[in-house]
Amino acid sequence: MREVYVAGIGITTFTRLEYPLSEIAAYPAMMALKDAGITDVDHLYVANMGSARVNHQTALASAVVDSLSLTPAGAAVVENGPASGASAIKAGFAAVASGMHDVVLVTGAERMREVNNLEATDFIATLTHPLAEYIYGVTLPSHAAMFTRLYMEKYGVTERHLAMVAVKNQNNAMLNEFAHLHQPITIEGILDSPEAMTNNPYVAEPLRFFDACPVSDGGAAVILVSEDVAKTIDRPLVRLAGIGQATDTHAVHEREEPTDLLAVRRAAAQSFEMAGLTPQEVDVAELHDAFTILEIVESEEVGFFPKGEGHIALEKGETALDGSLPINPSGGLKGKGHPVGATGVAQAHEIVAQLRGEAGDRQVEGARVGFTCNFGGFGNNVVCLTFVRED
Amino acid sequence: MAREIYAYKCRKCGHLHYPFRMVCKGCRQNDFFAFDIVPLPKNGKLLTFTRVYNLPAEFEVPTLGLGMVELANGLRITGQLEVDDPQIGMAVRGDVKVVRKTAYEKFYGMVFTAA
Repeated sequence: MREVYVAGIGITTFTRLEYPLSEIAAYPAMMALKDAGITDVDHLYVANMGSARVNHQTALASAVVDSLSLTPAGAAVVENGPASGASAIKAGFAAVASGMHDVVLVTGAERMREVNNLEATDFIATLTHPLAEYIYGVTLPSHAAMFTRLYMEKYGVTERHLAMVAVKNQNNAMLNEFAHLHQPITIEGILDSPEAMTNNPYVAEPLRFFDACPVSDGGAAVILVSEDVAKTIDRPLVRLAGIGQATDTHAVHEREEPTDLLAVRRAAAQSFEMAGLTPQEVDVAELHDAFTILEIVESEEVGFFPKGEGHIALEKGETALDGSLPINPSGGLKGKGHPVGATGVAQAHEIVAQLRGEAGDRQVEGARVGFTCNFGGFGNNVVCLTFVRED
Repeated sequence: MAREIYAYKCRKCGHLHYPFRMVCKGCRQNDFFAFDIVPLPKNGKLLTFTRVYNLPAEFEVPTLGLGMVELANGLRITGQLEVDDPQIGMAVRGDVKVVRKTAYEKFYGMVFTAA
């Protein structure tokens, strides 16, 4: 396999965007092309989950490749639920590593705010088991809630720990101009004060409003290139060193140990093994905190902390921006937003920016190894990426 | 006739599955029509639960209880929960009822109450 480098990155603001979906995909791609100083692309992958259902548009990649005037380059959509983004990066990686292509543009985009919040939640819920889960009204918040209750019972995680993740990530998002939520929150306001039940009602007990990510529109892009091309580009050299992907049962109740996220554990282990690194060598990570509980659990399953001790590391401030292992400096899905198809690419965008030293006020000083976990389904399809700054 | 929800028992190794899958997870025997259907037991133990407040519009209720139950034969199922003060580990009993309605269809599933 050839080595694969990230030559360019681009992102839109995550918010409600009044642009066609194809433009939300094309805009960050243009930024990435400018960033890399590249005009020719061999292949385009577009990561998207809901264009057909939410935006009444199919074959999105054909629209985007033409809008970017990149025809006749190859183009295809990668739809893999909320893990579409990192899955598209994996496809791009394979294309470059195999020698099939030298320059692959990966852009992820979603426009979910075209429909109301209930419809957006229902759209995401269509990834659940149609007969064993979806018909009952099971949504992603309800999966996360039932999982959280087990975690609380078994490991002593409390609503306070969940609120601490929300506060940390929304504060990080304050430093990110592209983040959806620019709203500082406090533990007092969302948990302790008499108004907390009004400010922060339950959406699925024991998860509250501020435990869930917002519904966002947005796009993000990366350009993956071979070593020969990377050497001609005047940008800091960041290598995509490891990729892991693992799946788990579709129906959550079929898992042997319901508090394990085995697909996260396996995808992370694969990614680290491929990169020849350990979780302890990571300087900065973006984990898929669609719900606050997931940041805590993923930080354990990927190997940063022992199982059941993620919330203790959080309490000690280890995962804060100035901690020993900053998690979600971008604000994560919680603060930055979660346009589902874009999320995995946006995580990669943040890590590359961090490793280049271009992350501004939220820069993790001297970061050289970065990691992302893109969590699809309710943990049934997970892709983890490991990035290394080389020069 | 009372409605049932079925588990799928592998004809080769006896492994029980719910929900249906095409290939047995126990022996991975790759044959078509490789399962016998067995009604799911109705009694079980509540493993975890939630009360949801942001339901898809067609539910026409403001909130809904959901739970994961370990049934008497060890299989687990996710279903609706009609219990006022649910507790992890409590005994529950399932009935097959309409759990979701659209303009054209009714979907039947397991609804649990305190046993």
